[in-house]
Amino acid sequence: MQLFINIIVLASIYALIACGYVLIYRVSRVLNLAHGELMMLGAYLVLATASLFAGHPLVALGAAVLLSIVVGAMVYVFLMRKMTGEMVLAAILTTVALGILIRGVIVLVWSAQQQYPAQALNLANPSLTLVGDGHISLWSAVLVATNILVYGALFGFLRFGRWGMRMRAAGQNPLLAAQRGINLHTVYALAWGLSTLTGALAGILMALDSGVTGSMPIIALKAFPAALVGGLDSLAGGLVGALIIATAEVLLIYYVDPLLSDVVPFLVLLAMLIVRPWGLFGTREELDRV
Amino acid sequence: MSSVLLSVEKAEVVYKRAITAVQGISLSVRDGQIVALLGTNGAGKSTTLRAISGFLGLDDARVTEGAITFDGHRIENRPPHEIARRGVVLVPEREKVFQNLTVAENLAAPVPRAADKRRLEDQIYQFFPRLADLRGRVGGLLSGGERQMLAIASALMCRPRLLMIDELSLGLAPVVVQDLTRRLIMIRDQLGIAILLVEQSAAVALSISDYAYVMENGRIVLDGDRERLNSHQDVQEFYLGQSDGNGQDSTTARRSYRDVKQYRRSRRWYG
Repeated sequence: MQLFINIIVLASIYALIACGYVLIYRVSRVLNLAHGELMMLGAYLVLATASLFAGHPLVALGAAVLLSIVVGAMVYVFLMRKMTGEMVLAAILTTVALGILIRGVIVLVWSAQQQYPAQALNLANPSLTLVGDGHISLWSAVLVATNILVYGALFGFLRFGRWGMRMRAAGQNPLLAAQRGINLHTVYALAWGLSTLTGALAGILMALDSGVTGSMPIIALKAFPAALVGGLDSLAGGLVGALIIATAEVLLIYYVDPLLSDVVPFLVLLAMLIVRPWGLFGTREELDRV
Repeated sequence: MSSVLLSVEKAEVVYKRAITAVQGISLSVRDGQIVALLGTNGAGKSTTLRAISGFLGLDDARVTEGAITFDGHRIENRPPHEIARRGVVLVPEREKVFQNLTVAENLAAPVPRAADKRRLEDQIYQFFPRLADLRGRVGGLLSGGERQMLAIASALMCRPRLLMIDELSLGLAPVVVQDLTRRLIMIRDQLGIAILLVEQSAAVALSISDYAYVMENGRIVLDGDRERLNSHQDVQEFYLGQSDGNGQDSTTARRSYRDVKQYRRSRRWYG
């Protein structure tokens, strides 16, 4: 039972991060390599809001989440917007630079020491006992529930929401979308805002569970194979990819060697790239090179 | 007489700061008028449409001279979505529907206000009842004619005042084209929308247009109302494929004497 719980928790972490990669890639074909740093920034923002709203942990958490959306939208408006119409590679390299910048700012403002937002907010993290003598920490359980809610909301938004429909339309054919009066910049800013929100949610909940350090983006790096395995433009793919990666990782840690944990996602990714480079549910794109 | 909705005044379009694709053209479209822009491949018709709809930026091109005015507002070099919101909507030649979105989603995506969606949809299904039956089918699975219908219908969902259609008849069976032109006239009559039609098939364009311009090498070389162009010797000879006046059927002669005719035509038009 504990094995199963560990898989679900890890899969939820990866899935919550992976959907951020998917949202931006699906709409603009840009790979956001600063996603891990934006996720970590969300966790550090809780430290900032905790001191601003001392004694009101929920307000502090809400403010951090809102700030994350604003940060994501601002990244698009002030940085990525300039990349519209440029080579995708230039946009990707910009995200690499952005990631390095965010890391630097975080070290300058909050230091590189491990921090515990849950302590700053006076929030406990009790262990919950589940059926079959399985245990899960409170914030891990919240993370699993949040993941389910986020995916449900995103599926509904993209399928039935007007702006969700516009995001799908812009992702498929940006030229035609603009011809139909859809403001692509608004769509892209929305995608960046939502992507940063999902990443920040993962970062905040992980930080509440086990604290935050400057090495948090490594987790996002491990979630990247989940998005790729599922298919970079498929939301459902992100969920399935996360489950596959998490299962492989937990089982290998448990039965083979814990040292394999950092390697497993990339081994699965390599296998998938050889067999099906566009992922399980991704769109097979036409390439103009071999 | 109805007021001028779109006015292009001596517009010049330059690609990559070097290649002049459209050279000082002037044209106008009045409220509720159907205007055709005729010409062969490379004449500059599509560039003109892209200049009006704001899509030159993507090709590193700009309107460098002249003015494009829509309903009293200058629109040259403005972003495409802004021009579309002013009421100028383009049905492109290719990739005209969202392939992975259903017919209903294709129609819903461009609607500016959610409150208008139902009313606009009902209106659209009156013009294109076939689309109502295909509501749940994805755009990529439609036939050529159905796709063109959906493209026009989704453009209408933007509530345009000027609908621009790039190559209405391209790749479609004559019976489908005839059906579409009949519906376009219905749309113009009932909604009062002006239509700017870019066509290689002069027969199709002149069958429904009130006025037409002929483009050649980036310039407008001939214009007039339908009757004038239908009876014009050059249009008959070069675009309608009718007798060239020497008793010879030019549809066959065009192949062998194409270059000679091109020369004669250029000499006659440019003086």
